[in-house]
Amino acid sequence: MMLVIAEQQGGTLNRASWETVAAAQQAGGPVKVAVLGAGADLPAAELAGADVAEVLLVQAPPIESYTLDGYVAALVQLVAAEHPDDVFLPHTYQTRDFAPALAVRLGRALVTDCVGTKRTDTGLLFVRPVFQGRLLADVAPAGPALVTFQIGAVRADSVTRGTAPAAIRTVAATVDAAAIRQKPEAPFREAKQAVDLAQAERIVAVGRGIKEQQKIALVQQLAAAIGAEVGASRPICDAGWLPMDRQIGSSGQTVAPKLYLALGVSGAIQHLVGMKGSRTIVAINKDPEAPIFEIADYGIVGDLFEIVPALIKELQG
Amino acid sequence: MHTTETWIFRILVLGFVAAFAAQVWTRAQLVLRARNNIRIGDDETGRRLLRFVTEVIFQSRTIGERPLVGLAHLGVYWGFVAFGVYTAVEFLAGLGIADFTGSRWFEVYAILLVPCSIAVMVGILGLIVRRVLVRPPALGESVSAESVLIGFFILTLMVTFLLDFRLADGVAGRVNWWVHALVILSFMVLIPGSKHFHLVLSPLTVYLRSPGLGRVPNLDFDKEEVGLETLKDVERKQVLDAFTCVECGRCQVNCPAHATGKALNPKALILQHEDALLAGNLDTTLADIFDPGVLWQCTTCGACEAQCPVGVEHLPLIVGARRGLVSNGDAPDSLAAVYNHLERRGNIWGLGADLRQKFVQAAGVELFDAGRHKYLVWLGCAGAFEADFQKSLRSLFDILRACGVTFGVLPKERCTGDVAKRSGNEYQFQELARANIADFTAAGVTRILTSCPHCLRTLGVDYRDFGFEAEVVHSSVLVAAITRNVTAPGAEPVTLHDPCYLGRYAAVTDEPRELLARFGAAVREPERHGTNPFCCGAGGGLLFEERESGKRISQERLEQLQRTGAGTVVTACPFCSIMLKGAQASANTQVQFVDLMSYVDGRMKSAARAAAPGP
Repeated sequence: MMLVIAEQQGGTLNRASWETVAAAQQAGGPVKVAVLGAGADLPAAELAGADVAEVLLVQAPPIESYTLDGYVAALVQLVAAEHPDDVFLPHTYQTRDFAPALAVRLGRALVTDCVGTKRTDTGLLFVRPVFQGRLLADVAPAGPALVTFQIGAVRADSVTRGTAPAAIRTVAATVDAAAIRQKPEAPFREAKQAVDLAQAERIVAVGRGIKEQQKIALVQQLAAAIGAEVGASRPICDAGWLPMDRQIGSSGQTVAPKLYLALGVSGAIQHLVGMKGSRTIVAINKDPEAPIFEIADYGIVGDLFEIVPALIKELQG
Repeated sequence: MHTTETWIFRILVLGFVAAFAAQVWTRAQLVLRARNNIRIGDDETGRRLLRFVTEVIFQSRTIGERPLVGLAHLGVYWGFVAFGVYTAVEFLAGLGIADFTGSRWFEVYAILLVPCSIAVMVGILGLIVRRVLVRPPALGESVSAESVLIGFFILTLMVTFLLDFRLADGVAGRVNWWVHALVILSFMVLIPGSKHFHLVLSPLTVYLRSPGLGRVPNLDFDKEEVGLETLKDVERKQVLDAFTCVECGRCQVNCPAHATGKALNPKALILQHEDALLAGNLDTTLADIFDPGVLWQCTTCGACEAQCPVGVEHLPLIVGARRGLVSNGDAPDSLAAVYNHLERRGNIWGLGADLRQKFVQAAGVELFDAGRHKYLVWLGCAGAFEADFQKSLRSLFDILRACGVTFGVLPKERCTGDVAKRSGNEYQFQELARANIADFTAAGVTRILTSCPHCLRTLGVDYRDFGFEAEVVHSSVLVAAITRNVTAPGAEPVTLHDPCYLGRYAAVTDEPRELLARFGAAVREPERHGTNPFCCGAGGGLLFEERESGKRISQERLEQLQRTGAGTVVTACPFCSIMLKGAQASANTQVQFVDLMSYVDGRMKSAARAAAPGP
């Protein structure tokens, strides 16, 4: 039996938990899912929809909110009671915090950041990248192990659904509140940038070739026509034609959209490093020598004031 | 002399000497407890003595930047030295130890001192007027009462010396003698706690200063060195520096960060260090004793160190403190990304090696073969990825081919570690350095040619500490030598921007000018050029910090360059070029930037075309 430790916070299930359930199902054999902490009953009900043997709702007053010592104490008891073969966890920040301690307490191997499993005659192998992702290693731990799965490595939608909801069993853990050394503070939230270009699927970026502030409207029209965000190179933001949070480059945002349309952007290296990860780069520039053409997939040497209106017309028409 | 008078004098001298010694002791303890980082190479003594003669005895640095003030200071300094024996003789007599005051030689000596005393008076009056009336900003916002007091002390000494010739041995003469002696004693007591401690320490610090600019020795990781975290970690020379600083502000005036309204002020940095040392809590972290953020505003241009007349080395303190921060994970975000790029891709921009490969193939460059090629051309990160610098490298290749110099490139390169070294990521620097040296050794490289002054410095100076001994030369130096017989006509006005790592660090200033002059340019010098250029703002890892506080350094430099009125600016460093082009793009001005190699190559080709017989 495989045991999955799902992760939730305040009643919201971490999506990576689904990926881990899928990984456990693909490894073969029955799967149980445990979920801990305050508000875990909702995520437990959600998880019961998967094709699993049982969902375990682990409860104890000291583990209502996450602490390393609290979770390790509760999970040591759970593993002792359930004695699963392998324990699967999503490779989240929280897992990274407690999994090493848990592995030591259980005397089990810890295989981290796996991207999949392989079933062989000799047993289950865990696949994990090594040498900065250049090679994949098949790891065969000696005995039951703790295994963490890289987020996004297994598709969450590949989880097999159950025909009927799985049973939910509440497990009471005994955790000594006094033995918990960590005193958690309120979660830190980073101030969100007004525009998160990193999430954009399409970006229309404007550079100095636009010449005048009034012409920015043209860029915005094109962006609207293809459902893109507007980004800019440094001179445009320096001039105040677009706000700083639209700047792309080494001192601005780093973006990797599916489509990056560069209008009048020369492609100074400080800009290139911020957008080099874009899937498809299209550049329009008057200067055939502009460095942007070095990395563009499609390049148009020409006047953006002729090309962009034609593009907009085509897209709207 | 009357015995009671002698005894009073003896007790007074004892008291004053004790007060002086107590202050010196406090400081000496701080110097002695610091780890000794003073290393004098076997072959350096001669050079250091020569420096001592020019900088201490002839005050070359003091005069160099401020000739009038420097000469006034020279007058005071030599006058003081000349008066040394006079003071000793008078004190020996006053203490009743030995009396030479009546001897013939002393009378002659005293008369010879008269012109010296006048030189001192003229000098000190000039300096007092400057400090009180002119009040240059480098000296600080308020007039230092102590400095003025010392000025009047020195004046009093000279006046009482001269009066001694006129006054008889009566009461007036004795009063005059006592005034002179008491002023000397009071001056002595003021020395250790004030900038006048440089009288004692600066000959030492000038002698002990590293032979090269901006030398920050490698950390020894086997000894678990991690850089400077607290005052306890600061090394001996830097503690000496803190007490030696004469507060003249030459560093402040020359600092590009200070000039563009940033919080960093190299003079304040040294004085804050001194205050913190004297405050006594050596567990204070360095980041806490300086104004917040200043450690990351330094471009390591070296102007402060290069100008300091008393041998203070700012860079070991700044880079040392950066190392302390980096080893605790406190690097700024802009650098964290660079470190990541260096770690994963081996270059500062995190770009793929395929781009470099593409360039090497397109430029038709052979892979280095020690048997066939004289030079290994080191492309550097910019050569591998920055389009404009690649153009300049193509020019360099063409010049080399035209002159029959054989060369090749390595199949793969990683960053020399310049940014890592200057920004305090010592571990990463050493990893890169060792890996590169292994590649050089494997390829049998003995001569490296580079167009990047930062690579020049790192490969040619910093790598020496790992026993790497290949000759490393900047393209401007080699090209000047191999094109000696080639000229092109013209007198196009051109401004030359000296890169800090070429002009100041490597003292390469003649070759770029010679090349420009020979290839038809009329060089117009901007303010701050040659061995004391104004930085572009890129050094020390700041290439990646485009959101500077105050004015952008690159913007300021662009304006300085534009003021020459020449439409073309020639640079010889990819970082300078990136910064200045960035500033130009933002300012929307029409200056043409050309790399030195492209300029020379262009002129060589057009001259060759003109010389060729017509079709």
